[in-house]
Amino acid sequence: MTPRPTLRDRWRATALHRSIVRTPPLDSPRGRALHAFGNVFLHLYPVRVPRALLALRSTWRLGFVSTVLFAILAITGIYLMFFYTPAVTFAYGDMQALRTQVGFGQLIRNVHRWAGHLMVIAVVLHLVRVFVDGAYKAPRQFNWVIGVLLLLVTLAWSFTGYLLPWDQLAYWAVTVGSDLLHYVPVVGGTLRDFLLGGTAIGQAALRRFYVIHVAVLTLAFLVLMAVHIWRVRKDGLAVGDPPVAHDPAAPARETALAFADAVAEVAEAAPAAASRGGARVLGHVPRDEAPLARPRDPDDEVFTWPHLIVRHQVVALATCALVLAMGVAFEAPLRELANPSVTPEPAKAPWYFVGLQELLAHFDPLVAGVLIPTALVGALVMLPYVDRNPSRRPRDRRVALTVFWLLFGALVALTVVGAFFRGPGWAFVPPWVQLYFEP
Amino acid sequence: MPSRPAYVVPDPAQAELTRRELLQAGWKVGGGLLALAAGWTTIEALRPLAATGGGATLTLAPPDAYADGAASYVREGRLWITRRGATLHALAQKCPHLGCAVPFCEASGRFECPCHGSIYDVEGTWIAGPAPRGMDRHPLQVVDGRVVVNTAILEEGAPLGTPSRAPGRDGRCAPAAEG
Repeated sequence: MTPRPTLRDRWRATALHRSIVRTPPLDSPRGRALHAFGNVFLHLYPVRVPRALLALRSTWRLGFVSTVLFAILAITGIYLMFFYTPAVTFAYGDMQALRTQVGFGQLIRNVHRWAGHLMVIAVVLHLVRVFVDGAYKAPRQFNWVIGVLLLLVTLAWSFTGYLLPWDQLAYWAVTVGSDLLHYVPVVGGTLRDFLLGGTAIGQAALRRFYVIHVAVLTLAFLVLMAVHIWRVRKDGLAVGDPPVAHDPAAPARETALAFADAVAEVAEAAPAAASRGGARVLGHVPRDEAPLARPRDPDDEVFTWPHLIVRHQVVALATCALVLAMGVAFEAPLRELANPSVTPEPAKAPWYFVGLQELLAHFDPLVAGVLIPTALVGALVMLPYVDRNPSRRPRDRRVALTVFWLLFGALVALTVVGAFFRGPGWAFVPPWVQLYFEP
Repeated sequence: MPSRPAYVVPDPAQAELTRRELLQAGWKVGGGLLALAAGWTTIEALRPLAATGGGATLTLAPPDAYADGAASYVREGRLWITRRGATLHALAQKCPHLGCAVPFCEASGRFECPCHGSIYDVEGTWIAGPAPRGMDRHPLQVVDGRVVVNTAILEEGAPLGTPSRAPGRDGRCAPAAEG
């Protein structure tokens, strides 16, 4: 006697369901592969991933956490847009109304603020993890560069959002942060005036920061993130790579040679087709294979669905739970209305720029405010092209790792000193005497 | 079968510019022009308005209203009027270091920046801290017995190393900066 079909079975048998989910059931390897392959959202993942990726310590899921935080920020940000006017006469009142009139308004604002800070931390830690694992090496050099751009977008996002509450904290942190620009030789003052829409922060600056925050950076981030994830999917995950590449250029060269052979072959067989612009020649390159993808041992791979997906679901839920708990426990700060005549003491830049501010107290502004940050970003961008060491083993990369940890340690130290050990007039005040820090 | 006129392939060696080269160059030029138009439009649209930077000519109190060694704040111009001896100064409140509003400290008789601890005397001359020069100033005149300040013009402050002519008082407002 066959069991009676359940409601779920009957729903799955309908033409409607089969028009939505067009792949076989997920209880077979074929179904799982086709599900990952035919679903636009799961298509962000490879069909199979290295088995080593299933361990949390393989990546600490930091890139994925950044993406989840982006989603949280997008959703809470849309909520906030319903209650916010980017005008100097309304912005501060809107922030107060969020607290006093909008149901759960303050909670949404808290979650947005803490998720923004956490995203800066997650993206930086992701960069650290990728560096320490040597995952930026060939063929992934350019995806590292995209990642650096995503970090810059994240910082710009946080910085532009910082101004929007239009309180004393926002006004003066952004004044100090944007005034750094005028130390750029020749064009600096013009750059700052273009960013602010004037010589001082006012209505034009607030509107510009708002549009950059909600529209320009969002679009830039989405495009960059699509390329970033697409390339991870095409190049495969570095976790599954051998620790030493024999010759990073070899696969590329082989592919190029094979391509040249194919062109020559087609040109010989069909000269007319070849002279018509080579459209048919391109058809000989397999469309869905990355030129640099290596064959893997199938035994070292698992299906993305369900093995990686369920792990990602757990991480996503944990991330949501963390920002929600932070939003319930800690209030986003709101000081007095912005007052262009009075600078509060001390006026600190947002915490991720406070290391720069600390540096400014010791060096010439051109050096500390312009040359050092430019050199740091330039070094990050150039890193995969300068460091051509094919090995990903720590013992083969002593110089790279030492330099990286020294610079990263210096940045963390400057940030901690600037954030927690500075008081009015930038004097040294330990946090156990008096804490001058607002996130 | 009717014969078609044979398609004569032009000899690339004879042609100065083939059709393909013309089209290839054409779309690059077109793309370049479009980028130029987009860039020009963007720059013109985002050009800051001059009016947002102040620019009004302010008519203030008679010169006698400003006491020697004191500073009084003019909110509408975001500037300070100070006097040393017979000389009046109109000093912009914006610190030349990183743009904080510099308050006047009555206890020390000096301007002390709360952000990074730059200190200026009552004439805006640099005394200490990380600022690159003295406080910036607006031209000040006395017209019909009243102080008139043109905020449209901002002159750079005195360079570092200019000796201070105004002695301060003993007090301090902010603790001394480390840097």
